[in-house]
Order: sequence, then structure tokens, then C-alpha cells
Amino acid sequence: MATNSNETASAPQKAADAVFVPTQEHGFNNKVQGYDWSQGLDYGKLIGSYITTGFQATTFGLAVNEVNKMLAKRAEPIPESLGLDEFEEDLFIKRKSNCTIFLGYTSNMCSSGIRDTIKFLVQNKLVDCIVTTAGGVEEDFIKCLAPTFVGNFELKGSTLRESGINRIGNLVIPNDNYCKFEDWVMPLLDEMVTEQKEKGTKWTPSRIIEKLGRAINNPESVYYWAAVNNIPVFSPALTDGSLGDMMYFHSYKNPGLVVDILEDLKRLNTMAVKASNSGMVILGGGLIKHHICNANLMRNGADFAVFINTACDFDGSDSGAKPDEAVSWGKIKKDATPVKVCADASLVFPILVAETFAKHHFASTSK
Amino acid sequence: MAELEDTQFESGDSGASATFPMQCSALRKNGFVMLKSRPCKIVEMSTSKTGKHGHAKVHMVGIDIFNGKKLEDICPSTHNMDVPVVKREDFTLIDISGDGFLSMMNDNGDLREDLKVPDGDLGTQIRADFENGRELLCTVLKACGEECVIAVKANTAAEK
Repeated sequence: MATNSNETASAPQKAADAVFVPTQEHGFNNKVQGYDWSQGLDYGKLIGSYITTGFQATTFGLAVNEVNKMLAKRAEPIPESLGLDEFEEDLFIKRKSNCTIFLGYTSNMCSSGIRDTIKFLVQNKLVDCIVTTAGGVEEDFIKCLAPTFVGNFELKGSTLRESGINRIGNLVIPNDNYCKFEDWVMPLLDEMVTEQKEKGTKWTPSRIIEKLGRAINNPESVYYWAAVNNIPVFSPALTDGSLGDMMYFHSYKNPGLVVDILEDLKRLNTMAVKASNSGMVILGGGLIKHHICNANLMRNGADFAVFINTACDFDGSDSGAKPDEAVSWGKIKKDATPVKVCADASLVFPILVAETFAKHHFASTSK
Repeated sequence: MAELEDTQFESGDSGASATFPMQCSALRKNGFVMLKSRPCKIVEMSTSKTGKHGHAKVHMVGIDIFNGKKLEDICPSTHNMDVPVVKREDFTLIDISGDGFLSMMNDNGDLREDLKVPDGDLGTQIRADFENGRELLCTVLKACGEECVIAVKANTAAEK
């Protein structure tokens, strides 16, 4: 009994040691602090509070800082040792600033309203190079011909199929839009075949996108502005979408069109190699993520990187790979401070642009 | 002038149109169609409904009825395709000339000597059977101003 009462009076030394480990000196200085609602509603401050909020809000704040670093570097003059790239005859890949920004996004981004944010970036020359997939190209043009609608995630596939409607998440696109696209693009494919045969033009995905961008001649279009502003758009898998379907059918009617992806790879890699500094902003994974990272490998790694996607890396996919994996390959510089935001870009990207590119742009235009 | 030409009535063999239009969706396998300006027999046909690829389409594989070459085309299902007028007639083989022309007679007793022995196995077979003294019936196919013997069979009724 005596020993028993003794034990209840003070915890065993072993347990006490295990639970109460004294705090060592640490380097954590940022206190967790959310938005102070007593200030009333101030979106700027609300978003500014993300960085100390924790979890992906903090990651988002870090992404804002990373993009702002790209923009600060871009505003610096190009070092004299590099020169002005005056021997480059291809205006699209000519070095234009001290930090070449590569923007990559998947097709769904263009299906969604993110397309309009991308258009803002391209129209105002805030990025230097785009990599996307076929859907990312054609959806932009199709939106100039007919609208995409908001539906919902639960619409049944078989019912939609019967009514000629295609679903992208909670967005829907009527088949009719693709018929309009076909009617628009087929004569342009004819022109490309003729130009190839008569002038020996070597078509590449980026040259095709430039041609289509000029042909759509619509200020709503991302690729109209890309063509006007000499911003190259690379899409090595250009045939993997409706545009590819069109090329397939067209090849029966008017065969002979050759699309050279190697020529485009040279343009993209050249851009990365000659960049004074480089930054990557990549929404989503797959081809677009790797293609940009791979090009940056040619310059011993990008200086700045922001990935926004929801993919995991436990399956070894590049889509889910964290920036540190890219560091191991030399795709991102060792001393860089890359950020991966695990979030749906449709939520995050417009706010990221608001805090970075847009602030930078509106500050410089209001001067 | 153009109107006058359009309204001309066509009659008889010489003036008849070599082809007539038919909606792509109405074409059927084993039927005839013009592919790349050649009269073809349709051996494969598949349709894809309207979708991400645009308008509904019909994919056709045809075999040129004269030279046996494979031809393919894809056409929106609402478009018209040309269908060749194909005529088939049997002739009794009478003789093979030294320069390789067939001397043949139809049921009306009309003689013709304007078609050559076809190339390939069919020609070899015709020559061999003819030299063996068999009574032969040659099937002549005519379309788009071209004519050719496409098959031969022994006229068993005449041989008996």
C-alpha cells in the first residue's frame, strides 16, 4: 500500500522524461496568425495573412513571394556580359528580359475561366513562353466561336452523350462547338498544306498555334495575343485533342501536312539556355510540367519555380513530384526556393496573379 | 448556255452520267462509291457520331473495281458522295487474237473485239481454259467509261 500511494504522488521519472522534453533553441520566428476580422473586410490583408495561417495558405504565401522574386529579377537590367541577343532572328525566342518566365498549364485550365487570367498575362507580356497541351490550345479558339457552360460534377455521362454534351469536371461543352471549330479550322489546315508544298514551310506546333492565333483575330483569345506579342506557345502533343482529330480527318481529304516537334524543342531549349535567369509557373502536371522543367535542365536548372497542382508523389509520377525531386535532376537550381502549392489552380491562380503579376503590372502602368 | 446544258436530257449509254450523287450516310457496305475519282466497291464502313472531333463522319475503305487497289476516305455524313453507274454483262468467248484481244459475243449476237485479256491470274486462267477447248463466259464490268473482264466461268450449259 505504501509504495502504491508513493507512485500516485509523483509520476515515474521515465514517463516524465518522455513527455516533458525541454524545448531547445529553435529558429522558428513566424508566429501563426490568421486574419484579424476586427479590421473589417480587406481582401488584400486577408490574402496577406495566408503566409502565417499555415498549411497550404502558408505555401500559397511562399508562392506569392517566389513569383515576386521572378518579377523583381525580370525588372533588373540584363547583364552587359550577356548582351541583347541581337543575333537572334527568331523574335519569339529572343531574350527579352533578365528573367525568362515559362508558364505551363493543362487543358482544363483553358476550359475554365483561368483562361482569362492567362490571357491577361499574355496580353501584357508578363510571361515569355507558354507550354500547354492540345486542349489548352483548341479550347481557347473554340471559346471564341461558342461558349463553354457551367454544369456540375454529377451530370450523368450516358445522358450527356445522348444529348451531345461533353463534360470537363463541372463544365460542359456542346458538340456543336466542335462542329463550329471544325468549320473554322479545316480551311486553315488546307492553307498550311498549300504553304508547305509551295513555300516549303516547316510547320511545328508553335508555328501552327501562331498561325491559328492570328487567324482567330479576337482579343479574347490567349493565342491571338501570344502571336501579336511574339510569345511562343509550345505544345509537343498538339495532335492529342480535337485539333488532332481535325488533322486526322483532314489528312484523308488533303494529305501531306508534316508537323515537326523537334524544331520546336530546339526553340524551347534555346530559350532556356540563353535566359539570363529563368522562372517556371506550372499549373497541373504531366507533359506541360516536365517539358518546362526539362528545358530548364539545359541551363542547369531554373532559378525560380512555382508548381500548383493536386498530384501526389508516392507513385513516382513526375506530375506529383515535389520541386526537390527536380533539383536532383538539375531542373531547378540547388539554391533556389521553389514552392509547390497543393491546391486546385482554379481557386489559387487568380489570387496568385493578383498578388504578383497584376500588382506589378498595374503599378507600372499607373506610373 | 449553262442552263441549256443543264437541262439536256440524257438517254442511252453514251450520254448517260457516269456517276450520281448519294448522301454519305445512305451508302452501304458492298455498294459502289467513287473514292479519289476511282470507282470502288465499299468493303469497310464505319461511322462516328458528332463529338469532340466535330461533325458526324463516315469512314470508308473501297477496292478499285478495275485495278483492285485499296482506297480510303472520310466524309461528313451529310455530304454527298458520287456513286458510279456500274454495268455488268456476260459475253461468250469466241477467240483470243495474237495481240491479246478477246473476241466475244453477247446474248444478242453482237460481237466485240475491243477488250484485252486481263493481266494476272485471271488472264492466265482464261488462256489456259480457252486452249483446253472450254466454252467460257466472261463477265465484263463497265463504269466511268472503263471496261474490263473481271471474272470468267465455264459455260457448262453449252459444254454439255
